[in-house]
Amino acid sequence: MGFKLDYLLSILPRLIAAAAVNIRLAIVIMLLALVLGTALTIVRAQKIASVNALIAVIISFVRGTPLLIQIFIAYYVLPAVGLDLSPEVAGISAIAFNSMVFVSESMRGGLATIEAGQIEASTALGLPPHAIWLKVVLPQLFRRIVPVLINEATIVVKGTALLSVITVVDVLRTAQQMASASYRPFETMIGSALVFLVINLVISLSGRVAEARFAAARV
Amino acid sequence: MSATPVLRVSALTKRFRGVTALDQVYLDVYAGQIVALIGPSGCGKSTLLRCLTWLEQPDDGFIEVAGKPLGRELMPGGVVRRHSRRQIDALRPRIGIVFQQFHLWPHMTALENVVRAQTVVLGRSRAEATRRGVELLTRLGLADRMDRHPDALSGGQKQRVAIARALAMDPALMLFDEPTSALDPELVGEVLTVLRSLAGIGMTMLVVTHEIGFAASLADRIAFMDHGRILEEGPARDIMAAPKEPRLRSFLDLVRTDHRITRTTANPTE
Amino acid sequence: MHFDPAVLVDYWPLLLQGAWLTLQVSAAAFVMGYVVGIAIALIALVPGWVPRLVTGLYVETLRNIPFIIILFVVYYGLPFSGIRLPAVLVGTAALALFASAYYAEIVRAAILALPRGQFESARAIGMSPMSAMRHVVAPQILRTLVPPSTNMTLTMMKESAVLSSITVPELTYQSLVVQGNTFAPFEVFAAVASIYWLIAVVIAEASRRLERRVGTAQAGASGRNRIADRYLSLVARRT
Repeated sequence: MGFKLDYLLSILPRLIAAAAVNIRLAIVIMLLALVLGTALTIVRAQKIASVNALIAVIISFVRGTPLLIQIFIAYYVLPAVGLDLSPEVAGISAIAFNSMVFVSESMRGGLATIEAGQIEASTALGLPPHAIWLKVVLPQLFRRIVPVLINEATIVVKGTALLSVITVVDVLRTAQQMASASYRPFETMIGSALVFLVINLVISLSGRVAEARFAAARV
Repeated sequence: MSATPVLRVSALTKRFRGVTALDQVYLDVYAGQIVALIGPSGCGKSTLLRCLTWLEQPDDGFIEVAGKPLGRELMPGGVVRRHSRRQIDALRPRIGIVFQQFHLWPHMTALENVVRAQTVVLGRSRAEATRRGVELLTRLGLADRMDRHPDALSGGQKQRVAIARALAMDPALMLFDEPTSALDPELVGEVLTVLRSLAGIGMTMLVVTHEIGFAASLADRIAFMDHGRILEEGPARDIMAAPKEPRLRSFLDLVRTDHRITRTTANPTE
Repeated sequence: MHFDPAVLVDYWPLLLQGAWLTLQVSAAAFVMGYVVGIAIALIALVPGWVPRLVTGLYVETLRNIPFIIILFVVYYGLPFSGIRLPAVLVGTAALALFASAYYAEIVRAAILALPRGQFESARAIGMSPMSAMRHVVAPQILRTLVPPSTNMTLTMMKESAVLSSITVPELTYQSLVVQGNTFAPFEVFAAVASIYWLIAVVIAEASRRLERRVGTAQAGASGRNRIADRYLSLVARRT
């Protein structure tokens, strides 16, 4: 049996509806990652040796193991430790943890590009540390790492597809369910591929528009 | 002169997005001559050189090097036949070019730059290529610098390696794109010496330069280019003493005025 | 909560088999993916808007779709063309396809970062484009290629875990098997995560050695393009 275009077109509405799940999850994950990542960066900036050593190990672990394994750990191991989370929450936690590390790493890179003179001047002016962070450093930092964050957003969106493996009903799982009913797995997979393609292209394009705006605003 | 010119350029035309960079250029360079190509910036001097090595493809016109057509050929019957990439590559070694930035290959030593060109393009044995490379580099005063990498060489030394690399291919003619501009002004005299020594062995040369004094000291003939056309061409002395073209006259006046300014500031009592 | 490694004693061979398959799949996908990637990069450099458009579509499509979906598309799509392959080969092909898009961008960026004059001086002397690439371009871009390529290869190795969804018996698949038999998720995933982490460390170390042999992008080449360097390290950072 050959490729049926009309079948593909007929299932697209259902797939797009299911995509709302991925988008919702991605937004929650990105927000969590931004907040936690910023917090982590501030903690690292305190330069407490033992804390930073522990953080280094965690970062090495997160960067050296597959996201799927991290998701399985949240799904299978946490219940054994007493934390019984729903598949969605487990999935969100795993991807947010992963993303948090990356956000923190890119913030570290971005920090290096902000001249030390600014922080010195702010201290000389009498600004307390938290004000320096909030008013001087962070605004500039975010402007610089926007492109990297947009890229990370597309990665998070792609990561949500993996949650189908731990029974979250997202685009992919919906597609798989449809495929087992209709015996047309290829079209359902192409459909879900298209949905993700569009979502991520929209994110990248808005990112470029946002970049242009930020660049214009940069002094 | 009745002999075939080493370089014959006929009606060469090149357009870039509506701008005509070369407008029916005619130029003949005979064996052993040094021709300096001068003109204001943007006149098309560099474009002409690039066309002569087929780094740019001319839209019209013909180029002949040592009697052989390059890139495009006029067949009997008026048909223009385009050469294949292989045919063009086969003729390229005969046209030596020394770029303004030299473009030496940084991952090889000076000697290797000269050797690799010969082994890969001309198929010479490594031994033969090395022998010729050593000879050329020694003659150019780089005997003790052969095993250095380009980043360990001065600008003048890099230029001489670039010259050696081109000479190793046994070219019929050597092209120079602004040989003085990438170097410190004090070294202009050295470049002059090197190029004169090349002329001394009978090499035919076409030198693009914006330094009139350099052109006047070195060249047998000078060609003046403006807006993609060669407006005047003749023996160096005649051009400098009595230019006919009004644009050439104003161009030379501009340069001579600059010299007058430097002379004035050198004599504060005036 | 107790941590009892003895639970895994019987299952270590299975996990190690899985790890070995992960390594093999990754290595094969790296080679195939890089060859295809170089080809795509060279096509993208052909003058004209058509090659850039075609390669751009190829790269953007593969980079914006989750790998698990690329895998399923290949897995369910191959039978359409009448090709029936064992899951492990399908998985490796899908992984290579995925990686090729990233390698292509890495190679293209590296070639573009090299000053044009290098290629031109080689051509002007009479070298064919192939010879110019071989003798002048490739040796110079090799050092710039190593860091981003390593990054991508690590990412690809981690992505191989997804192959477990089409029952390829690599490390993640085996971890699920062992977990199903022992009901000791903490021990199993601690072990598996450690093995992945170890593989990652080995790859990173191999890359460091390679960098020393080929020279880091910092040494040697004068007149490098700093902007291109930053672009190169960001381009391949993540999938």
